Amino acid sequence: MLPFDASRRDFFSWSARGLGAAALLHLLGRDAPAAGVKPHFEPKAKRVIHVCLIGGLSHVDSFDPKPELGKKHGQSLNSKETPDIFFGQVGRLRQADWTFKSRGKSGLPVSDLFPHLAERADDLTVIRSMTADSANHTPAFYLQNSGFQFSGFPSVGAWASYGLGAEADDLPAYVVLPDPRGLPNGGAATWGSGFLPGEHQGVVFGTGDKPVRDLFPAAKVSKEAEADGRELLRLLNERHRDRSGDDPLPAARLRAYELAAKMQLSVPAVADLSKETADTSKLYGLDDTTTAPFGRNCLLARRLLERGVRFVQLFSGGPIAGSPRVSWDAHEDVTANHTAEAARIDRPVAGMLADLKQRGLMKDTLVLFTTEFGRTPFAQSAADQVGAGRDHNKYGFSVWLAGAGLKPGIAYGSTDDIGWKAAENPVAWHDFHATLLHLLGLDHEKLTHYHNGIHRRLTNVHGEVIRGILA
Amino acid sequence: MRRDALLVALLTFGTCTAAEPAEGWALRPVKRPEVPKGTANPVDAFVLARLEKEGLKPAPPADPRTLLRRVSFDLTGLPPSPEAIDAFAKNPTDAAYARIVDDLLASPQYGERWARHWLDVARYGESDGFERNAPRPHAWHYRDWVVRALNADMPYDRFAKMQIAGDVLHPNDPDGVKATGFLVAGIHNTVLGANKIANETARQDELEDVIATIGQTFLGLTVQCARCHDHKFDPVSQADYYRLAAALGGVNHGDRAVTSPAAEATRKKLTAESAEVAGRIAAIEAAARDRVRAKTAGEKRPAMANSPIARWAFTRDAADENGKLTGELVGGAKVERGRLILDGKGHVRTAPLAADLTAKTLEVWAVVPDLTHRGGGLMTVETGTGTEFDSVVFGERQPGKWMAGSEFYRRTLDLKATAETVSDKLIHLAIVYAADGSIAVYRDGQPYGERHTPKDSGLRTYKAGDARVLFGLRHTGGGNAHFRGEIEEARLYDRALSATEMAASAAAGPDATGVSDAAVIAELTPTEKTERDGLLVRKKDLAAKLAAVPGPEQVFATVSKTPPPTHILARGNIEKKRQVVIAGGVECVPGDPKFGLKAEAPDADRRVKLAEWIARPDNPLFARVIVNRLWQQHFGVGLVDTPSDFGANGGKPSHPELFDWLAAELIEQKFRLKAIHRQIVLSATYRQGSRRDSTAAKIDADNRLLWRKTPTRLDAEAVRDAILDVSGRMDRTVGGPPFHDVKTYGDSGTTFYQPIDEPKTGTLRRTLYRFSPRGERSAVLETFDCPDPSAQTPRRQVTTTPLQALALWNDKFVLDSADRLAERVTADCRKAGSTDTAALVGRTYRLTLGRDPHADERKPSEALAEKHGLPALARVLFNSTEFVLVE
Repeated sequence: MLPFDASRRDFFSWSARGLGAAALLHLLGRDAPAAGVKPHFEPKAKRVIHVCLIGGLSHVDSFDPKPELGKKHGQSLNSKETPDIFFGQVGRLRQADWTFKSRGKSGLPVSDLFPHLAERADDLTVIRSMTADSANHTPAFYLQNSGFQFSGFPSVGAWASYGLGAEADDLPAYVVLPDPRGLPNGGAATWGSGFLPGEHQGVVFGTGDKPVRDLFPAAKVSKEAEADGRELLRLLNERHRDRSGDDPLPAARLRAYELAAKMQLSVPAVADLSKETADTSKLYGLDDTTTAPFGRNCLLARRLLERGVRFVQLFSGGPIAGSPRVSWDAHEDVTANHTAEAARIDRPVAGMLADLKQRGLMKDTLVLFTTEFGRTPFAQSAADQVGAGRDHNKYGFSVWLAGAGLKPGIAYGSTDDIGWKAAENPVAWHDFHATLLHLLGLDHEKLTHYHNGIHRRLTNVHGEVIRGILA
Repeated sequence: MRRDALLVALLTFGTCTAAEPAEGWALRPVKRPEVPKGTANPVDAFVLARLEKEGLKPAPPADPRTLLRRVSFDLTGLPPSPEAIDAFAKNPTDAAYARIVDDLLASPQYGERWARHWLDVARYGESDGFERNAPRPHAWHYRDWVVRALNADMPYDRFAKMQIAGDVLHPNDPDGVKATGFLVAGIHNTVLGANKIANETARQDELEDVIATIGQTFLGLTVQCARCHDHKFDPVSQADYYRLAAALGGVNHGDRAVTSPAAEATRKKLTAESAEVAGRIAAIEAAARDRVRAKTAGEKRPAMANSPIARWAFTRDAADENGKLTGELVGGAKVERGRLILDGKGHVRTAPLAADLTAKTLEVWAVVPDLTHRGGGLMTVETGTGTEFDSVVFGERQPGKWMAGSEFYRRTLDLKATAETVSDKLIHLAIVYAADGSIAVYRDGQPYGERHTPKDSGLRTYKAGDARVLFGLRHTGGGNAHFRGEIEEARLYDRALSATEMAASAAAGPDATGVSDAAVIAELTPTEKTERDGLLVRKKDLAAKLAAVPGPEQVFATVSKTPPPTHILARGNIEKKRQVVIAGGVECVPGDPKFGLKAEAPDADRRVKLAEWIARPDNPLFARVIVNRLWQQHFGVGLVDTPSDFGANGGKPSHPELFDWLAAELIEQKFRLKAIHRQIVLSATYRQGSRRDSTAAKIDADNRLLWRKTPTRLDAEAVRDAILDVSGRMDRTVGGPPFHDVKTYGDSGTTFYQPIDEPKTGTLRRTLYRFSPRGERSAVLETFDCPDPSAQTPRRQVTTTPLQALALWNDKFVLDSADRLAERVTADCRKAGSTDTAALVGRTYRLTLGRDPHADERKPSEALAEKHGLPALARVLFNSTEFVLVE
């Protein structure tokens, strides 16, 4: 893409590349932008829910059964290597704290850590051979989220918005639902649009009657004053547009105010969960104080997708270094930490999968369930002990996807006997991202944005689509 | 995925792709071209010649109101007053315009406006980014320096050199240090794990940020693309990259104490005097103390024989009775009943160490009321960043047990010792760090657990001027690190006490001077008492004078360290070190890339040579890049539309000859930027109207040939500043610490920033002075494309979204400002004698848009004001396209 095009596109409001684009482009009398308006090829998925586990889920305790690790429990790792783990303590090997069972028709093993998700095993496509390039939370998390270890790069949601635009013109393309216990490290930088135009930034939906900031006036304004004010503004802006010789910006501003008014209706409507049936609420775990906070976010995610949002990102976990922990960062005690964290999300995520399926959404929706890295098969303790905690493991870990375009009920790739390092078909985040874009109908090598001397991609100069998981 | 690609993915900050071969136009020497004849201003001559070639004509001149609004926003970021518009409209001559331009360029607001543009390029942010994202409370000195330098029209070559090596070039000028804030304005990871390779890689990433910023800011070259491989499109080799890495290898992030030479001299004199007075007081007291001791010799109390370098008795405050390590009470910490009281939130932090500290003993008498407490530090020595430390810690790894705490437990052992049982009286605790690296913990003078020598980490040296002592906090930035309890006394030794000394000290107990202050005073003779009283008055007086001397300021800037050897790294991989390279420049840039330095040259020499190599008049990139940045801010698009990339991936100049002429002119004008501003804004090209012409648009849709002045939307800062200004609520204070429109809160060792609506005192200043952490921004700023300062932003995005409309229509700041504007208008009209609706509406228009309402606007505007009040109209006008657009 040429920078000229980029600057021209900057004027468009956010729906310019979605289905709402046609009207606006007509209004502006311009050609469609060079790239990003429509998918590069027929998409399998039109929208994404991304469940992001902050802190590092233990794969050997959840989706990657390692009988050999059980046998070697209490033995030393016997490696001369100084592994890149965070605290540097290599304790004795530690068996899984949960029992694995074959689940469903597929027989895909899932541990008892996630009893409800286990029931959805036939819907899951597990990748057991993920690798990360950092064993340090924030760089690893940024890498997962943007393909780079630093802030300032667009997040996957922003790229999806950039590549596909919104389906709706009265809701943003990319919505973020943080863990009610706190923001992930980096705060808003996490869902930033980086160098992509600001319209692709994640919009945080909170709870209450103003789910989006500045949705309504900060002071009391009567309905009539609001309507009269808008009317005068429209008149002034139309006159100005007419005087200015049909520049794009005045026209785009008029349209933005129209859409803003529509948002004031659509946002509260989508955020209002009270119209959902009791059965649905229960399915998401809203009837239980442990599962309700994450359940509400899962239910809201489904409602957002139904109304045309492209990408909803849900965080499970707040700031990383809490005491007690409010994330999956089980340095001290995997059993206690993962039991508590899984209890919050297991039922809601499983319920969401069931609900998406029964509503027929699963056929063109992708659900991602990822974490920045796994946890070590050895304990984080003195070399002669089996401590209760596990350190960060960047060498091999598990994530799963579900939904459109995937082979369900399979496990792809593997780690070694004890679950330490990826063995078969190692998958880097760039490969994961390339696959995600592929399922959305986008070629990761063609989805670029010129910034500061470089044609930037989500996948940098890497990435290969993981063919083995595609249907 | 390929294995090698995987590796590169890990190491690459950014990578480069493009389709064309290098052309290298930007590397050709700057030659002053002949100016086409027929027009007075060379800018117009070149632009007209080009337009004529395409059969295009410039637009008619803008009307005086439009022009004044344009030039005011461009040069100062603020709108003109209605009175200034009237005056110019009455006398719209060239001479009047030139005078206005001179006034605007001379106003302090010029530097504020253009500093904002520069800070975008410098990726200036006021927090570290990454996991902890700690604020940088002393970063603003750099921002203020930029404002001052631009206002003083500092020649651009000097401006550049100062930012690379000001601390070396101007060692006696505090500005020298402040300017180097440029190098370290980017993100910096303070959370490092135990793995050496990972940490060295993180350091390489950090250097890449500095190298990329220098390369793009001053040279328009993406040299960072050559970290892993030779640049694919521009003539930059990997060796070029690592020569720059060597030149910048000593650059580190951190605070530096900066003092003005004059203040330093005064302080020295006062300190010497103060010491002399203190010595005389001590002599009088010592004599009296000896007499008391002689009288009470039979009672036999051991004296404090161990001579700590610092001793905190916490009698009245956290003063160091022996040395200069006086502590400051932070958070809820307080001194009462002769003890330091710690509530689990507060702590004490001392001044930096006066001398390096290697072997050491930490000794403390404390009460631990809650034996279930976990992880608090009683007494700590830590580095200035808090990332490395040694600490007396309670119950962190084993409940109830004492341990020698350290970063990542590097020097920590889970001691085989009994858990603490005493919660109601003083316990004596000490940790001895011996020169042989061994560490021994003592409790009540007896060894506590086993002496141990850490395998992975030797004895730490804490540096003078950097490291400090903490009480009640394990280390700065640590989670769960505060101690709850009381400290009676603490001592720090710069040697390892022996077991015998330790037992003796424990037996002697705190306050081991053995003679109370009261007893000493009672013993004084009347003469001694008079003399002492006089000296005490003088001491107090000197202390007050010392306090009034401007102290060393903490400045976030380049901290110079000895650079390690720089190797070329194959594929950028820290584990694949190839040959050592010596600091030098980029070969393709005209001029000698060799700096004539040795491999082990100090950081100072390297940066000076780099600065000189960059800011040479015969470096064609240096002048071209800055001239283009100026042009871009005046016209919205540069003569080259990729302002930080003049390589093969970047744009080509729309007017090559004009571009060269401007670059030559800048050099001729001794790099004075204001001369170039003047040249540009006085041109007819700049002064033409902005109406779109559909015929011309067919030939040149993007108006790169300048057949009109393209309207530009105000950037986020200018929107907020304009609203503040016209509503009469702007606080024009120039410089100083930032105002905060975010709530800064710590959560588990991480700092978060939450925008707040309610303006507090001091928040109504220009947006330049806003505390700008990496993370959240207010809705108004964010939706108007104010970037997160994590990356360089040589050119802002301009987007128009519904969220932007919602922010400007609904945000508290805008609604409050609408109220204030209405009040101001009413007051103005009252003064002028008429407060009827027409007058009020007219004044509101003139303040916001700089004009009276048009005939078709007047009636509905008056109707709205009458029905819903003047603030309703003010709100509409703030939201109008005309308000946020400069035509």
